[in-house]
Amino acid sequence: MHMILHGTLFTCLPPYLVYLPFPPYNTLMPAITVQNLVKTFTSKRKAAGFTGSLRALTRPEYQTVEAVRGISFEMENGELVGFIGPNGAGKSTTIKILTGILNPSGGAAQVLGYIPWTQRRQLAYHIGTVFGQRPQLWYHLPAIDTFQLFGKIYEQDDKAIQQRIKFLAEAFEIEHLLETPVRKLSLGQRMRCEVAASLLHKPKLLLLDEPSIGLDVVAKQRIRDTVKRMAETEGVGVLLTSHDAGDIEALCKRVIIINHGSIVYQDKVSALKRNYLTSKLVGVRYAEKVPDNFTLDGVEILKTGQYGVKLQFDTRQTPVEYVISRLAEAGNLVDVTISDPSLEEVIRAIYENAE
Amino acid sequence: MLHTVARSTSKYSAIFRTQLLNSFAYPADLFSRSVSMILFMWIFLQLWRVTYGAVGMDAIAGMTLRETMWYLMITEMVILSKPRLVNNIATAVKDGSIAYLLNKPYNFILYQASVSLGDSILRMAANALMGGAVLWLTVGAPPGPSSWLPTLVAILLAWFIDFCLSALIGLLAFITEDISAFMWIYQKMILVMGGVLIPLDFFPDWLKNIALGMPFAYTTYAPARIFISPNPGTIASLLALQTVWLLVLGGLLATLYRRAEKWLSINGG
Repeated sequence: MHMILHGTLFTCLPPYLVYLPFPPYNTLMPAITVQNLVKTFTSKRKAAGFTGSLRALTRPEYQTVEAVRGISFEMENGELVGFIGPNGAGKSTTIKILTGILNPSGGAAQVLGYIPWTQRRQLAYHIGTVFGQRPQLWYHLPAIDTFQLFGKIYEQDDKAIQQRIKFLAEAFEIEHLLETPVRKLSLGQRMRCEVAASLLHKPKLLLLDEPSIGLDVVAKQRIRDTVKRMAETEGVGVLLTSHDAGDIEALCKRVIIINHGSIVYQDKVSALKRNYLTSKLVGVRYAEKVPDNFTLDGVEILKTGQYGVKLQFDTRQTPVEYVISRLAEAGNLVDVTISDPSLEEVIRAIYENAE
Repeated sequence: MLHTVARSTSKYSAIFRTQLLNSFAYPADLFSRSVSMILFMWIFLQLWRVTYGAVGMDAIAGMTLRETMWYLMITEMVILSKPRLVNNIATAVKDGSIAYLLNKPYNFILYQASVSLGDSILRMAANALMGGAVLWLTVGAPPGPSSWLPTLVAILLAWFIDFCLSALIGLLAFITEDISAFMWIYQKMILVMGGVLIPLDFFPDWLKNIALGMPFAYTTYAPARIFISPNPGTIASLLALQTVWLLVLGGLLATLYRRAEKWLSINGG
């Protein structure tokens, strides 16, 4: 059937009129390629008050906002990439361009071989989306109803979709929740249903925008584990935006940090930790009272209590061994805790450096 | 080709069915909202009883009190069952949430049509039950069943004409920020030129002809008129005019929507 279509169509039609009946991507191609993507918004500016409104009517002034300023990156098939940045950094504008909802002002992008803004509907069959702030499940209906509806919308075979629902219900542990109206589910349960819904049509790429917003630690962990497992077993690429560095740490191998519309950092998560997570936080507790003027060379004392001290040091300048042995010599140690600063703090440091 | 049509049909009918289920989630709400139908019918009845009494005739422009009341029942039923489409589209455009409705493989306008129809149908049934009960008890039985089928067809056509007009006004939100003025004008035009408050037949001829030259009459007057006068000539001409208006407005909506999709990429975000 496809062969016949191609044979006849290719000979009598100019190539740009031929829509391939199967996706044009292959597994060797990157899932996402973005080159010098630019997006500027123009909006009318209006001065305050009545005269301002009048002037806006007769002689409108326009201002342009550069939401995305020439970003470039690639994402492989099946890769898990974190896309982070503060509010207004250009994350969601980029995501909207990649799903084909917005036209870029400049630059090029391909998603699964499609140009999103000219082939939005074809692309939609192959990507899944979850917006933490925008539930896609019908609020008053049980999740199973939305699942069936999505099966139809994505033109899945009836029998195949039943199996898929069963499979995903097990994977996300939501079998017992499927028949409850979504409004009666807890946020964590609802989010598991949301993510499961986005995978019904076996997308090649999953765009998760703030999937863990408002969730408690346990619920977050559950979502992360399942997404990771699904991505690995089905080879789904995941582009994840989040404010929660924990999401990125748990899920992603690579991270892209964006601020003011430009990419400020792009590397493996492990490299990010190696290069930036060089300081250690240490807390100690002693059996006897600690002198008020407690000091140690190469170490910053954060807090001195009656029986305990909190301190921080850079492992590149002060060896861990030196600090611990000095602390042990100082008195009768009761307790020691050593921790890394959170990825969150690291990211904050990167933002500050970029500014 | 056939295959594609079949898949699209099952896609949009699934959307319609899901909205039906959704409306059934709150049956109490559905019926309590249609209680206003009782109130409207009762007020209209008092009003027209006095009018018919004052005129001192059994029929005005060939319509008896009973016919006038059943006419008004249909127009009220139609306008009280309208989806909140203009508002929904305008809000989605203004706050950018339209972006989240566009990331699925369906046509946005057909999606809205399926959802709105699923929303309207149950309310229409509830309104018909309430309004019909009041009239049956007060002015007597509705016109004979021979007009019922053409009336149903006319109601469906009327619904789609209103859908097109409302969607067109909703899409104006792409161009101008505040569309409430357009909505207000549209609603008032329907009330007067659509023959919702007073049957168009009571108008002087010149005004009736103006009203029949505009699309508003085909969203309300046409089904109500067909319901009370099952005259084959009237039925055929009103249904034909409805079809013509639907094709014109549907074409306009399709064209404008395609343009709006491009505007979206400039203004949205």
